[in-house]
This record gives sequence, C-alpha cells and structure tokens, in this order.
Amino acid sequence: MDQFTKIFAEEAHDLIANLEKALLTLNQQPDNQQSVEQVFRIMHTLKGNSSMFGFEAMGQLTHHLETLYEFVRSGQSALTPALLTITLSSVDHFRNLLNDPALQHATTLDQHTQLLGQVESLIREKGQIKTTAIDDLNNKTDGVTYYIKFRPAADIFSNGTNPLYLLDELCHLGNCRAIPRMARVPDLESLEPASCYTNWEVFLATDKGEEAIRDVFIFVEDRCELIIQKIADTDLLLMSAFIEQVKEWGTAEDEIAPEALQSAIVSVFHSSSAQVSGNVKNNNEARGAGKTKENTTSSIRVAADKLDTLLNLVSELVTSQARLSLFAEEHSSPELAAIAENVEKISRQLRDNTFSICLLPLETIIVRFQRLVRDLSVELGKEIVLITEGTETELDKTVIESLADPLLHILRNSLDHGIEDANTRLQKGKPRQGKILLKAFYSGAHVHIQIEDDGAGINPAKIREKAISKGLIHPEANLSDKELFDLIFLPGFSTAAKLTDVSGRGVGMDVVRRKISDLRGEVELQSRVDKGTAITIKVPLTLSILDGLLVRIDHTRYVIPLSVVDKCFEVTHHQLSNTFNNLIVLDGEQVPFCYLRNEFNLTSEAPPIEQVVVIRYEDKRVGLSVDVIEGEYQAVLKPLGKLYRQQELISGATILGDGSIALVMDTNKLIKQYSGSANPSLIS
Amino acid sequence: MKKTILVVDDSDSIRSLVSFTLETAGYTVLTGIDGQDALQYLEDNEISMIITDLHMPNLDGIGFIRQVRTRTNYQFTPILLLTTESQAEKKEEAKQAGATGWIVKPFQQDKLLATVQKLIR
Repeated sequence: MDQFTKIFAEEAHDLIANLEKALLTLNQQPDNQQSVEQVFRIMHTLKGNSSMFGFEAMGQLTHHLETLYEFVRSGQSALTPALLTITLSSVDHFRNLLNDPALQHATTLDQHTQLLGQVESLIREKGQIKTTAIDDLNNKTDGVTYYIKFRPAADIFSNGTNPLYLLDELCHLGNCRAIPRMARVPDLESLEPASCYTNWEVFLATDKGEEAIRDVFIFVEDRCELIIQKIADTDLLLMSAFIEQVKEWGTAEDEIAPEALQSAIVSVFHSSSAQVSGNVKNNNEARGAGKTKENTTSSIRVAADKLDTLLNLVSELVTSQARLSLFAEEHSSPELAAIAENVEKISRQLRDNTFSICLLPLETIIVRFQRLVRDLSVELGKEIVLITEGTETELDKTVIESLADPLLHILRNSLDHGIEDANTRLQKGKPRQGKILLKAFYSGAHVHIQIEDDGAGINPAKIREKAISKGLIHPEANLSDKELFDLIFLPGFSTAAKLTDVSGRGVGMDVVRRKISDLRGEVELQSRVDKGTAITIKVPLTLSILDGLLVRIDHTRYVIPLSVVDKCFEVTHHQLSNTFNNLIVLDGEQVPFCYLRNEFNLTSEAPPIEQVVVIRYEDKRVGLSVDVIEGEYQAVLKPLGKLYRQQELISGATILGDGSIALVMDTNKLIKQYSGSANPSLIS
Repeated sequence: MKKTILVVDDSDSIRSLVSFTLETAGYTVLTGIDGQDALQYLEDNEISMIITDLHMPNLDGIGFIRQVRTRTNYQFTPILLLTTESQAEKKEEAKQAGATGWIVKPFQQDKLLATVQKLIR
C-alpha cells in the first residue's frame, strides 16, 4: 500500500497545484464556469482518493468543500470572496496534510478544526449539510431462513448483468436451494435471445441478514421484481424433511403458493427432528496470481536525483567523446574517424534530449506568484492584477528553482513600493487597478524574464541623493540614468523609506543580482517616473554545458560562450598595437577592443597574426584579441577551485579532450573590467 | 484464460491501485486515462469488464458508457462505475446509459474484488 500512498501524494501535489491555479483564475473572473467545474472536479478526486489512501482528514474537508462548490456549480449560491479565501487556505492546509495526515501536529490540528468549522458554517448557511454516513449495518443474526423470489426484467442482460452470478453470490451467503421457473419461456420462433424469461425461487439460510441479500441485488433492484421473506428463525435447510419438500416444489410447474409455503414450514417444524445434511458449497477456484502489464502512459514520473545522475553521465560522455574525437584526429584512420563522428553526433543528440527532459515550464513557479500577488494586494489594500505571458517558456529545473526567490523579491517590491494605492492612481489619471506584467521569452541560448509594473516608477535623482548619502558615489560623479539604476543593485542600497513586512528586511536588490549572477544571468532595471518600472532578468537555458568557441592566448586555452560571439576577424599584430583609444575598424565599423595579452599581463612575444573575436556586450559590439581560434567546443562546465572563487572573469573550467584544462570566460565581466568605462566614478 | 478488465480513471493513484488489486487477483488489466483514451482499447481486445470513473476530462464516464454500449461486442459487458456517495442522481443517469453497477469510493481492495467477481467469472 505504501507505494500507492506515495503515488497518491505526488498526484495530490499536482492536483492541489491545479486547484490553486483554478482558484486564482476564479479570483480574477468569478463567473468562469469552467474553473468552477475544475475546482469541483479536483475536490471530488481529492476527496475520493484521499480517504482511500488513509488521508481521512483531507477527505473530510474536501467533502464539505465539494458540497459548497456543488452549490456554486449548480447556481444555488454565488462564489463569494469568503468561500474563495477559505478554499485557498484549505489549499495550504492540504499541503500540510500530505505530510501530516493524522493531524499529529497541534498547528495542523488547529488549522483543520478551524477550516472545518468555517466550511461547515458556510454549508449550514445553505441549510443543507450532508453527513458522511458510512453504513455499517452489522445485523448479526445466525441461521435465519429466507424465501426469495427473483423475477428479473426481460432486458436485464442489456446492462451487463448475468442473473446466474447473482444466484451464485446468494449461495455464498449460506445454505441455499434455488428453483428455476421457466413458465415464461416462449416458443423458439418468438424467443428473443437477448431477453431473460426465467424466474427463480430461492431458499437461503444465512446469518448475514436481509441487508446482505438486498446487497446482492443492489445493481438490479430497479430491473427486477424481488421479494424477500423471512420464513424461519433457524436454518430450515438443515432439516431433511424441508429439503424433500423443496425438491417436490422444484418438480412442480408453478411457483409456490404463499399458503403452501406457510403450511409446509409448520409441518416441517412439527414432524422432523433436525438432521444435519451436507453443505453444498461452491468452491471458489483458486486464481492464478500471474501478472501482465499493459499500461500505456503518456508520461512517467522520475525522481529528480535520477535526472541529475543522468545529466552528470551525459556530461561525462560529452567529455569522453571529445577525447575520442581528438584521438581519432591524431590517428588518421578513416574507420576510427567515422566512429568518432558518429559518437559525436549521438552524444550531441543525447545531450540535447537529456536537457529537454530537465526543462520545466516557468509556469511551475508562476502559480506561487499569482497567489502572492492576490494575498499581498489584499493585505496592502491595493488592487493589483498579475498578467503573465509566455509562461510555457522552459528552463532548466535548477535555474527555475533559483529564480523563484529573486522573482518573488522583485514582485514584492513592485507590489509594495511600485504600485500606488487606488486613490493615488486615480489622481495620476491611471486606472484604479494596478498591473504587473510578467513576460518570458527565448532569446538565443538565454531566457528573458521581464517584470513590468505600471506603478510610481523610480526617480533617478532620488537614487543619486541616496547613493551620495550612503557614500556609494562621489557627489560630483556624472552618471547616466542607466548607471544610476544600476546602483540599486549594489549592496547596502535600499530605496524604501521604511521597511515593511512585505518587501522584507535588509535583503535588497543586491541579493537578487547576486543570485542571478550565480546562474550566469543578468538583471537590468529601467524605470520612468509615474509610468512604471521594468526589470529584465536574463538567464541561460541550462547550467552545466555550454557551446563555446575554443581560443588560445599564449599557452592557455579559453572558452568563449558561443551565444555572445558575433563574428571573428583575423588581424595583424600591428593593427592591434598601433591604435588610438583601442579602436579597430572591422567591416567598416569602429569596434572597441580589449587587448587581452596586455590585460592578462603576458610578457611573451605576440604572434604576427592575431584574431579578434567580436562579442555582443549589452547593446554594443566589443572585440577581444586572442592568439588562435581553435574551433567550436562543447564545454562541460566544472566549478573552479576554492582559491579562484573570488575572481569574476572566469566563470568555470572545462576539461578538453587531451586532458588539459580550458577556462571559460565570463565576457561580460571581462569587458566591464577592462573597458574601464563601467561605473567609472564608483568609489571602490 | 485470464479475463481482461479495462480500468478508466483520470487519477493515476486510483488507476494504479485498481490495476494492482486486479492484477494480483489474476486479471489482465488495461488502463485508460479518460473515456476518449479508453475507447481505443475496445476494438483490439476482448474485454470482459470495464471499470470507469465518472468525472473525467475529454469524455466523462457516462459518455464513455454510452459509446461502449453502441458497439455490438460490448452490449452485454458488465460496466462498473467508480462513484462517491454524493452522486446518487449521477448513478441513475449512468444506469440509464447502461452501467451494470457501481463501487463507492473509498473502497477496500477486497470489496472491489468481490464486486468484480459478482459480475464476471
């Protein structure tokens, strides 16, 4: 049973998540009939399943909620905000119940009784309370004899019933004698093979009670004539005289007349002493316990750590494959080359496939946000709606998990500080209801997530003041708006005049930026006073493997993420060394570049011909000079050792096919550091 | 020969539990995730019995039973309904559609088997 409980718990989690989603839709569109249906259906499923798998408390609560939503569904009552609030609290409670089904923790128990009370009072308002009566009728009586007359309707076969099975079942209840009556069977010509013409008379001695007999016929009670009559308080079928009598009745054409029955019983009691006759019992043939599985499922559940292992193995495979390719290159054997090429192709497909398995739609965390926005806007007394776009955008599950907190933080900020209350908004000529738009979309190997609100916006002048007072910038520093907005992400900067419950304490946007950078992502903020604020988060699709350009400077190999590479150029050393202001003309355009040999303090002689890799940096193009471009390379990212964690220019390392190590450049950081233009007036 | 039972339910846990119970008892079990999905099994399998849930997406239990009963091969096949006690009026509707009987959720595994054995041998 345990395995089922586990499946149930997983399924319940999904159901609860769907429930929450449907409820939030209802929150925005209370008359969405489809969502009401969905809520009802989920409640129903939860109720049925939970009590089956031992989650009684959940069954209890869902039962009442189902009743309430039944009213809503049938139009008997409206969907009130109160009901919605209770249901949403119940949703949270269900999650707790999954971990604590028996209400062992005091808090769970409290919550349960409280919710149950609220729900029941809501039902009572409707004046109808259904009770979960589980009929447990144990009318224990021993050896009572019944006379049963069973006359099935002619069409009884048509709903799949076989009357013989019913008689068989009767026989299992105790001592039994059945007499078939076939007087109604017509001539062969007029006989309808799909109709039933036979009646039965049954004598049954059982200790199970009349209820059990009725149970046998429960599926056909409206398709038959059924008379159940208690004829004696003892087991008449143990008396040989009675059995003789039954046999006699059996040979007769007609059914037993009630008077005949009565007199026969009386005479049997008088004349005979009880004689034990053999029990006629059908033995249930033992059934084989063989199993066959023919389950066809469209999806399966896999434990997350299995996926992680798979990912790791694929990473290792990619590394080994690189070695094989290299080896094949060195040994000019066409057969080996063909194999290596094939392996490369397959491992590439395997890699892509495995990654797609590990991708989750952004939707999985959006529900939490919907909930947050609803709860907080109520708490803050503001009217705010969260609109989401592109939530089907898929991201690596680890990325998704790490994104949840920063996104929540940003949303909280928007709710708390961004969007004004209804009155202020009306004064500013904006609609009463504030709007937060969460939009996600792909862009190359990255996913962009934009959170846009139509709130008060941020005044750059205020940031400036604040930054000066905090000593973050020099009073005379001349910063563009963009640079000013960037200051928000610095540690120790918080624009909120006072900290509120909602937007947290002391945890500022710097944490957001740090978390996003950990994912090799970027955050950017744009804002216009009274128009709103937009924050854009850019994160890579996946973390562990990246397509890169393998380059060499001096004796060290580097990997530049292919997603940022724009174009490569071959130039002479002279062109690079003889420039003014580190600008070079490429394709008729002036491109600033970093001469990495100088930046890396390499003293060895530069080759006469060097390469410039042009990188997209923010909205500009910047060149990086390298000695040699070796080719494309799928880099399996490994973290750097402890000693190198502090530096920012290299985001990781990868092992090449020949066993040597290449460093993965973080081009954004690199260019920022060496261009000398980023935040020039920062006091560091 | 082993009898084949078609189990139709949109809930994974119910499907697993019912199939496990039936398979342990020696039946062959086919599962459908909703009425629409289950219809595909009717043609190519000799199904002795059908157990179906009521509320399902795409094609619900009652619609499914109606469809099953239109097929000549399945006019007399027992069909069991998985219901809860709150669905009395649905039960009637399902019976009209051609359901043989029902099992009330929550049910015990042996209760399920008993009900199944009531209808097929």
